Amino acid sequence: MSGTLDGEEIDLSAINAGPAAAASSGVPQGELLVGFADALLARDGSELVRLREAIAAALGPGGLRETASVAANFQRMVRIADATGIPQQVPLLMLGGDVIEELDLRRFASADNTPAASGVQRLLGRLLRPLAPRLMQRAAASLEKRKIDKANRSPGAGLGA
Amino acid sequence: MQSFEYVDAPVPIDEGIVAAHREVWRRIAAAGAWWTGAERVAIAVEVRRAETCVLCRERKVALSPAAVMGEHEPNDVLSAAAVDAVHRIVTDARRLSKSWVEKLAAAGMSDAHYVELLGVVVAAFSVDEFHRGLGLPPERLPEPGGGVPSRERPAGVEPGVAWVPMLSFRAAKTSAPDLYAGMPMAPNVIAAMSLVPDAVRDLKRLSSVHYVADAEVANPLARGERLTRAQMELVAARVSALNECFY
Repeated sequence: MSGTLDGEEIDLSAINAGPAAAASSGVPQGELLVGFADALLARDGSELVRLREAIAAALGPGGLRETASVAANFQRMVRIADATGIPQQVPLLMLGGDVIEELDLRRFASADNTPAASGVQRLLGRLLRPLAPRLMQRAAASLEKRKIDKANRSPGAGLGA
Repeated sequence: MQSFEYVDAPVPIDEGIVAAHREVWRRIAAAGAWWTGAERVAIAVEVRRAETCVLCRERKVALSPAAVMGEHEPNDVLSAAAVDAVHRIVTDARRLSKSWVEKLAAAGMSDAHYVELLGVVVAAFSVDEFHRGLGLPPERLPEPGGGVPSRERPAGVEPGVAWVPMLSFRAAKTSAPDLYAGMPMAPNVIAAMSLVPDAVRDLKRLSSVHYVADAEVANPLARGERLTRAQMELVAARVSALNECFY
């Protein structure tokens, strides 16, 4: 199954299949990135040493730092989700319904916390999915504008402070 | 010497990460809403002990964690129930259940104590994971500070969505308006710890430097300085899949 993000066409099967599949995921250096996640979670010290060098060489020191920080971030987020039993919210469930099915994510025990999307919700999700990236960009731009407007209205704004 | 100097880091660590890690360490050492500073630091100690816990290792490979009887090494500051909660969140979170959280309550740990404990666990654990990823030793844990827990429970928290009560988008507008500021809705993973608003603030502080700011998550153009969003999401999704996390 594939999807588009930030203009890149990506094969999502690498999420389940691991580093070898990530090589053909369409994500630049995907094999290294997925390998890093695998080595970190497996506590494989020697593989981490190799991958740090490879990622720094391919993506620069900043790329290595960001890979480590994103992995750390999701080591945190998954535990929050699993420890509180939160369900996935309906809008995201609608838009991600096919991904959930294709990647067989309902095999995970924590899927029990989220009821399956109804037929109508899935249909709506399919209709809205092509529009979602544009809608999200517009929403983000609108929020950014509101932030700027708020900053401009705050005391001291425009005084050269 | 200050914490998080990163003089031996293999790559430059930007100021935002340093500041966020220092602030989270300062917050762990201070009294929270329900735990003292000494208790919060003890929770962070157990985060590290869980990594080498023999009981946790045996439980993790068992068909059910309940099938393996035993006790963790005792902690002078925390109850056995609190130690077990920390260890299970770190080592086997995918098999936590609503009934397990209810048993913690029956053992005397309130829902608010549990949420704050979770907040300390995930903050300390993720900072340690960042270090592990870069081949750095874990940062020395802070010395506990003084003070007493505020015992403040935000107005408007409601049960029903998750195993613990949460602040809805609407309720947060009056009792903790900063929690969901800039977001069109309250994502459940942010709201999950809203029973203890400071735990959400720590989460937001870390997420904004480890990933992207919460208000930017839905924006597909938000990305790292070096990694594209697709590269970031590939790492995120693989970590989530390996943890068997549906969310």
